[in-house]
Amino acid sequence: MNNSFPIILELETPQHPDEIFSFTKMVLAKILNYKILNIAHQQKIKMILVELITNSIKHSADHSSQIKLVIDKPSLSIQKFEKGLQIEFSASQQIPFEEIDKILKISFSEENMHHIQPLDSYRFKFLNPHKEGFDIEHMPEHFGFYIITIASDSFIYQYDPEAKENRYIVHLDI
Amino acid sequence: MNINKRKIKDVLLITIEESEANLSKSEQFKELMLQEINLGERQLIVSFAHVDYVDSSFLGALVATLKSLLPLNGKLVLIEMNADIENLFQLTRLDKIFTVKNTLETALTEF
Repeated sequence: MNNSFPIILELETPQHPDEIFSFTKMVLAKILNYKILNIAHQQKIKMILVELITNSIKHSADHSSQIKLVIDKPSLSIQKFEKGLQIEFSASQQIPFEEIDKILKISFSEENMHHIQPLDSYRFKFLNPHKEGFDIEHMPEHFGFYIITIASDSFIYQYDPEAKENRYIVHLDI
Repeated sequence: MNINKRKIKDVLLITIEESEANLSKSEQFKELMLQEINLGERQLIVSFAHVDYVDSSFLGALVATLKSLLPLNGKLVLIEMNADIENLFQLTRLDKIFTVKNTLETALTEF
């Protein structure tokens, strides 16, 4: 494998749930062309891709989004770009954030809770939810962002108000 | 969504006859499961023998099923998951919430 890193790949995502899994397998095969990965990393990449694309199909106005992969040594960045309105929380605190660096507890529905850390007015990082404990009573029925958070080494959301673009940036140490 | 139902004494075995347990099937699966619970089923086994992957929507449907079943003193056992699905349950710690078994035989000993 004699490649000059970083390798950048840009792909249109599928728009139907039943096309997602074959797409993730195709993307993984492309990554494996450039980088040998252990099974655990391969499983995490598939989970992250499935959830990023499922999220677009569920929430994006036209279901479309683009995936950009930055394969580097020793990291992989999976970025999803999606036109539309910014992400909204079921809470009073919204983007743009007024207070930076203060950890916030937010939700996207009645059931799910996420801890996030604003990094600037239009950007925040999802924090690992495991510190809160785990029981069926408080178990959410919406797991997408939760799965991406725990499967990755870093998961950042960013909104570009000028381009009206949502960016989901996932980083994996590989 | 395609499922297969089989009664083994008091236990209802539901085999998911789909390779992709995802957003396009999760709502229907949840309704099917809640319907069985409403009809009186309390001991359920769900087989993933034919499933390649499970997404967050389908996990949500499983959580909704378990949440409905537990107050009724019911039990749900998940069986025959492939390595990717097992890994998803471990990573999300759902393996601590659900009873997960390898085979139908071992699952039946849970009831």
